[in-house]
Amino acid sequence: MSVDAAYLSPSLPASAGKDTDVTSVPARALGRKLAVFALRQGSLAVFIGVLVYFSIAAPFFFTVGNIGNVLGQSAIAGVLAIGLTIVIIAGGSNVVTGGIDLSLAANMGLSAAVYASLVQAGQGDAVAIIGALGTGLLIGAVNAAAITLAGIVPLLATLAVMNVVAGLELVLTQNTVVPASTEFLSTLSASGPFGIPVLAYLLLVFTALVAAVVQYTPVGLRLYAVGEFPEAARAAGLRVKLFVSGAFLASGLCGGLSGILSVSYLSGSTTGAGDMLLPVVVTALLGTVFSRRLVPTIGGTLLATLFVSFLINGFQLLNISSTLVSGVQGLLILLVVSATTLLKRKGNQ
Amino acid sequence: MAQSSPKPSSFNVRGLARYALVAAFVAVFAVFSAIAPAFLSGANLLSVLVNNFALLAIVAIAMTFAVAAGGIDLSVGTAIDFASFAFVSLVLAGQPIPLAILGALAGGSLVGVFNAILISGIGISPFLATLGTLFVGRSAQQLLTNGGNPVYLPPSGVPEAFRFLGHGVIAGIPVPLVVAFVLIAGAYLILSHTRFGRVVLATGIQASVVRYSGLALSRYTAATYVLVSVIAAVAGLIVTSTVTVYIPSSGNAFLLNAIGATFIGTTLDPHGRPNIPGTVLGVLLLSIVANGLLLSGLNFYWQQVATGLLIFSVLAIGFANRKAASRA
Repeated sequence: MSVDAAYLSPSLPASAGKDTDVTSVPARALGRKLAVFALRQGSLAVFIGVLVYFSIAAPFFFTVGNIGNVLGQSAIAGVLAIGLTIVIIAGGSNVVTGGIDLSLAANMGLSAAVYASLVQAGQGDAVAIIGALGTGLLIGAVNAAAITLAGIVPLLATLAVMNVVAGLELVLTQNTVVPASTEFLSTLSASGPFGIPVLAYLLLVFTALVAAVVQYTPVGLRLYAVGEFPEAARAAGLRVKLFVSGAFLASGLCGGLSGILSVSYLSGSTTGAGDMLLPVVVTALLGTVFSRRLVPTIGGTLLATLFVSFLINGFQLLNISSTLVSGVQGLLILLVVSATTLLKRKGNQ
Repeated sequence: MAQSSPKPSSFNVRGLARYALVAAFVAVFAVFSAIAPAFLSGANLLSVLVNNFALLAIVAIAMTFAVAAGGIDLSVGTAIDFASFAFVSLVLAGQPIPLAILGALAGGSLVGVFNAILISGIGISPFLATLGTLFVGRSAQQLLTNGGNPVYLPPSGVPEAFRFLGHGVIAGIPVPLVVAFVLIAGAYLILSHTRFGRVVLATGIQASVVRYSGLALSRYTAATYVLVSVIAAVAGLIVTSTVTVYIPSSGNAFLLNAIGATFIGTTLDPHGRPNIPGTVLGVLLLSIVANGLLLSGLNFYWQQVATGLLIFSVLAIGFANRKAASRA
């Protein structure tokens, strides 16, 4: 959407008309700023409001143990959503031709299966970790090649790769649960300091690392440049394809990492990884609302992941049917996107 | 949305490679005939058409309209489910079949109206809007069915007219197939030979041009998404009458294949645009591959890998081609 807007406004003569009413432009800009501010703070306010409500309604909600558990449970989806966010940043927000990686959830499934199978085959954790991360990286590489070399639009390339990867997972596991338990895996799924799960710490550290690279380094800045206006980035001498490939490799690696996390969390690899796909897509897209300029950010994605997890957790504690969760997710995304779209439209007029 | 910058260029080189889809189709057909003798039998080919082709073709045609308009509809499965639910509920309530059919189409079109409001009314991009619809729809179905329980139609309580939809025969051709053919022909006529179709295609190529031409872009877009949901609702009707059960959120099973078939079909067009013949050929390819792999006795799990690889190669050839052409 923002890419479209960016393309359209400079290239269309008709949009020159927007400057005729010069006097009111600053006022409108201010109004828009206020509205964006309200939306951003509003979404944070809603987040906090929901947390406060759950804390009052369900006394157990606001305890270190529960919050730690929610963080731990968010680790798998969080790492996936962060991978997707990197792709969305580098590919732009046009979901069909730009940044999307539909193969992420299947990637997680296959990486987990590879890890569990290697452990079953008597290999050590080191080999299994290399196997899982290598699998993820390889999937990312195939995506990158299909998109930058063959020129397939990301939506389709990753869709086809998703099918192949999901099939390979079935071939590897024969559609069964492959149990795996090693010392390393139990350390991961155990509780760490302050009774908070190790997975929770992992999620926070991982987010911090990726956020540091994406939000605070020249590489990250260029990633945004490539995504928001590829033509300009190319004109400025950036190697667009390299950045896009890099983003898909990074997201593949995230898939491999979350595969490892899921093996530890579930004590093995299970089927049905594909069900994670759409929730992860929604989470990554939802994350934009937690950023200052309404763009995808790593921190925003973490907040969105936690928001969804806290909702699910709160519903469970309050005995509200968990079937409502997907509806709430859907409504959230629609609300958020409507609000941002209306704001952008107002800003462009 | 419309960034697939169609550039006129020489057709000679591309002309050949453009038919990657046709070539893939012929090759797949030849290979399966060679390895599985049962493949070529009339009975088998008919079963492919009825069991694999008909339903997916209807959904993929619906998808083609959305993609032709420069968007996408991730909620086709939701429209299928809503139609299916309305149909089953009305039949169970003892309503006559024609009324139940109308109710089902109306139920499915609700999804389209919802999408239309989001996309043309508010201006949300189709991907996000229909993704939201998919999630809201899933929740709505779980609420309607007490947490996602299937709704069965007892075989005894099913009227004859109902059975006809799923298992009947018109002039020797099974009804689902007849419906699919009628919809294919109708969709082809609408997309290629009517004013509405031209506007839809123009929207997909350059939406702003449609607006500057003085056409009510938002109205056309709204109509497109309602049309998509109504076509998908027909698939819901047929699937329900075939299996006599409504399973919440089961329609999503068609989603990815429908998208795949539609985009595989775009490789048939010189400008890479969505088109009905291409979509139909894409569906045919997917159905033949599914059936052929089954007959070939290949491990069931490898079948999915093989299908994915095939889709991947067709797309890779098609897009690499288009890229080479636009560079020339």
